[in-house]
Amino acid sequence: MKNKGIIKTIIIIGLLCWALYALYPTYKYLTLPAEKRTELEKQGKLVSLINESIHLGLDLQGGIRLVYEVDLPKLVEQLAENKDEKLDEILNRTREKMNISTRGFLTILQEEFEKENIPMNRYWGERGDSESRIINYLDDEAENAMTRSLHKLRNRVDQFGVSEPNLQRLRDRRILIELPGLSDPGMAKELIGRTALLEFKMLAPAEEFTQLIQDIDQKLAREKGVEQTDTVDTTESAQKDTAETETRESEDEVVSVNELFGESEKLEPDTGDVAEDSTVLVDKQIFEEHPFLALLRTGQGGRVVVPVNNVRAVSRIIEREDIQELYPENTELAWGSDTDQIADKSYKRLYLLKEKAELTGKYIKDADVGIGNQMQTAGSALVNFTLDRTGARIIRRVSSANLHKMMAIVLDNKVVSAAEIQSKLGASNQITGIGSMDRAKMIAIVLRVGALDAPIHVVEERRVGPSLGKDSINQGKWSALIGIGLVIIFMIIYYKGSGLIANTALILNLILLMAVLAQFGFTLTLPGVAGIVLTIGMAVDANVLVFERIREELDTGKTVRAAIDAGYSRAFITILDANLTTLLTALVLYQFGTGPVRGFAVTLSIGILASMFTVLVVTRHIFYFVTSRRTLTKLSI
Amino acid sequence: MRLFKNPSIDFLSKRRIGYIISITLIVLGIGSLIIKGGPNYGIDFKGGTSVVIRFFEDITTSQLRNVLSSSEISNAEIKSFGPRNEFLIYIEQQRGISAAQMAEKVQTIIDKSLTGMDYEIRKVETIGPKIGKKLRNSAIWAILIALLLILIYIGIRFELLFAVGAIMALFHDVLITLGIFSLLNFEISIKEIAAFLTIVGYSLNDTIVVYDRVRENLKVLRREDLFNVLNKSINQCLSRTVVTSVTTFIVVLILFLFGGEVLKGFSFAMLVGVVVGTYSSIFVASPVIYEWQKKHGGKRKLKMAKRKRKR
Repeated sequence: MKNKGIIKTIIIIGLLCWALYALYPTYKYLTLPAEKRTELEKQGKLVSLINESIHLGLDLQGGIRLVYEVDLPKLVEQLAENKDEKLDEILNRTREKMNISTRGFLTILQEEFEKENIPMNRYWGERGDSESRIINYLDDEAENAMTRSLHKLRNRVDQFGVSEPNLQRLRDRRILIELPGLSDPGMAKELIGRTALLEFKMLAPAEEFTQLIQDIDQKLAREKGVEQTDTVDTTESAQKDTAETETRESEDEVVSVNELFGESEKLEPDTGDVAEDSTVLVDKQIFEEHPFLALLRTGQGGRVVVPVNNVRAVSRIIEREDIQELYPENTELAWGSDTDQIADKSYKRLYLLKEKAELTGKYIKDADVGIGNQMQTAGSALVNFTLDRTGARIIRRVSSANLHKMMAIVLDNKVVSAAEIQSKLGASNQITGIGSMDRAKMIAIVLRVGALDAPIHVVEERRVGPSLGKDSINQGKWSALIGIGLVIIFMIIYYKGSGLIANTALILNLILLMAVLAQFGFTLTLPGVAGIVLTIGMAVDANVLVFERIREELDTGKTVRAAIDAGYSRAFITILDANLTTLLTALVLYQFGTGPVRGFAVTLSIGILASMFTVLVVTRHIFYFVTSRRTLTKLSI
Repeated sequence: MRLFKNPSIDFLSKRRIGYIISITLIVLGIGSLIIKGGPNYGIDFKGGTSVVIRFFEDITTSQLRNVLSSSEISNAEIKSFGPRNEFLIYIEQQRGISAAQMAEKVQTIIDKSLTGMDYEIRKVETIGPKIGKKLRNSAIWAILIALLLILIYIGIRFELLFAVGAIMALFHDVLITLGIFSLLNFEISIKEIAAFLTIVGYSLNDTIVVYDRVRENLKVLRREDLFNVLNKSINQCLSRTVVTSVTTFIVVLILFLFGGEVLKGFSFAMLVGVVVGTYSSIFVASPVIYEWQKKHGGKRKLKMAKRKRKR
């Protein structure tokens, strides 16, 4: 018997030592003064220290949690061949239905095709492919696109340099990305959300653009019922300026969008552009007869810019189907990606591009940021990229055939830069005019990693600032400490000496719990702290069960030793039953829950298991110890 | 120190009072839910955008509302969030805009409207509409599956009737807690569902402790009828039940008072749950067993009461 006692003692003390050892990094990290911290960071040791400490959830650390969903409709559209209006129609209807129902997109799509009595193999797969085969094919493609995109996203995030990012695949083709410690989500979201489709497209000749603007003008004017008396020569407006300033004195007037479009036009909900006042800035002199032209400004070299206030109105016009018919063949209009500041006002550039992409990003071998050293680009951020052999060959051919013409670099359908091809181009190229270094870094990363196979969009975003995180930690800490304190006092009052024993078990319980969290890398979230507090309550419960039983047994006249034994053995079954059911609910919570709730389930489960150990093994052992020295007639309980 | 020395309160006789109290609370709760058209879903379940802002200068809710009234989010819900000068602004999900765009837009609008003021954004959450529905479904499934598992477990460890009693007690607890939440207009989001499930687990603890005693007493007190066995069992557990409930209640109360605004809903649910859970172990779980047995043949039919040949 005595030997058994010593072994147990050794095991318990051993566990305690392990626990303290596992928790030491956390302690060290929390008590690190600022200077030592930067020192460790330089040595590269800070990250490993953090990794060995208890992982804090986003709600305690601060950071961003993003959930992305693969844009199945767009992906399906991309995969389709022989696209026509009917397909657009069906896809749109399916999209709408998808938003209100919880059924899958592909299921609804199939239904819609059935309703129209059109075989799906008109657009996908081979002739004669059955519906189910095509659906499977689309499903597989979506799956593959998801996996590849997840892989690329992971690469992108890794290169961005966030500490401890977490990327996970969720049910229903969703991707979870958690970036702890990040306070500004803007760049991160851009980095992740960007499809990063890079294309090189030639600009359409300037005359074609001018003609298009006039055509649109005429059409709109006719709609408004105004006859145009003269055509304004748009190049005239450029003559007065030398530097980048407003081209002429214009009496800009603020006009309501209704007036612009006539009363019959219904205002649609905003599609997301930030600058969306319902007024536009127009030059009164030409507004009446040239409703479209009035929204634009022309600058140096035929460049067309649009005041930021007018962007939405212009978008609505150029996206109209009947207007798009006016485009010259195989061209498209595209916005510039940056905003220009000219004399206090902001403008966005508008380009007319040839639709054909001469070169795409898949030929990029490598990309990196750089700082301009040429006269025009001095000091500004740019991206250097190299093409692979095929890509270099293509660009050589294209550039020689188009010398002195303008070529645009288009990223995700926005023009990043447009420049004249001055000489034959080769493998090494630059993207200039990016703006900030951060954006350049971001563009370099996405070019390096590659375009996403499927477009993704955000369905959930949660961001916790670091100050809230710190406050939450404090509040959790204090709640736990006060809770423990009260319980300790109560146990001593109610159970006297035995209460003291119970308290040691409680403290050991909490140490073990924290140690397991640290050692196995479980994340501690705010609900997790609540779980710790609850564990205190549950640990008390187990002790109470035992002690009450012992009291009962003592009342029936048993000896101290016998009463203790009986108390423990009888209570064991009850404790087991009770805790098992709580564990069951914790399991269900873990399955169905998300981040913070999972943290709660984990902490609660570990806490319960630890409490079973400390109550049934440790306290019993202490009792054994206390009663083995001499035979007690009375027990302090 | 002892709170109860050999208590012998006749709980089962008082069960009818218990029924009245329980039914009243449940009816009130369900009534409130019906009138208000369902529970007050938090952002997790209904989507939208919420922003928590802390100001470093003094400002009241109505002042803030004034400032924002001329912006595009003039119809946002604004309420105070925790300590002074901290507010939660909630905007519903708009049609036609994605979740991501909502977040950006709201940020920009807030920045614009509050220029010149000294503030800090503590937290931003944007949830798309479809996720809300999916989460709601998940939550309901979670609760149902948990109840099912528990039913099976108790059915095995004790017997089916006990399981039924336990499940009724749990339903009772969840309904009353939901009802109180509805009456007081507290929000229900994922954390509160987690609390509900924990209450389920906790209430079960209590119930099992009593059942365990009943099982034991059925074997030991062969000559007593079911009424007395149940009463005795409850009384024997009384000390333990009260002590545990009180300590857990105090511990959760600390959490409610000091644990911060984020955990308020969760800890309140736990507070209600501890009280109701203890109450149901005494006034629901055991009476159910008694009523059933009264109708269906008394003690003899109980499996637990039979002599087991193996032992």
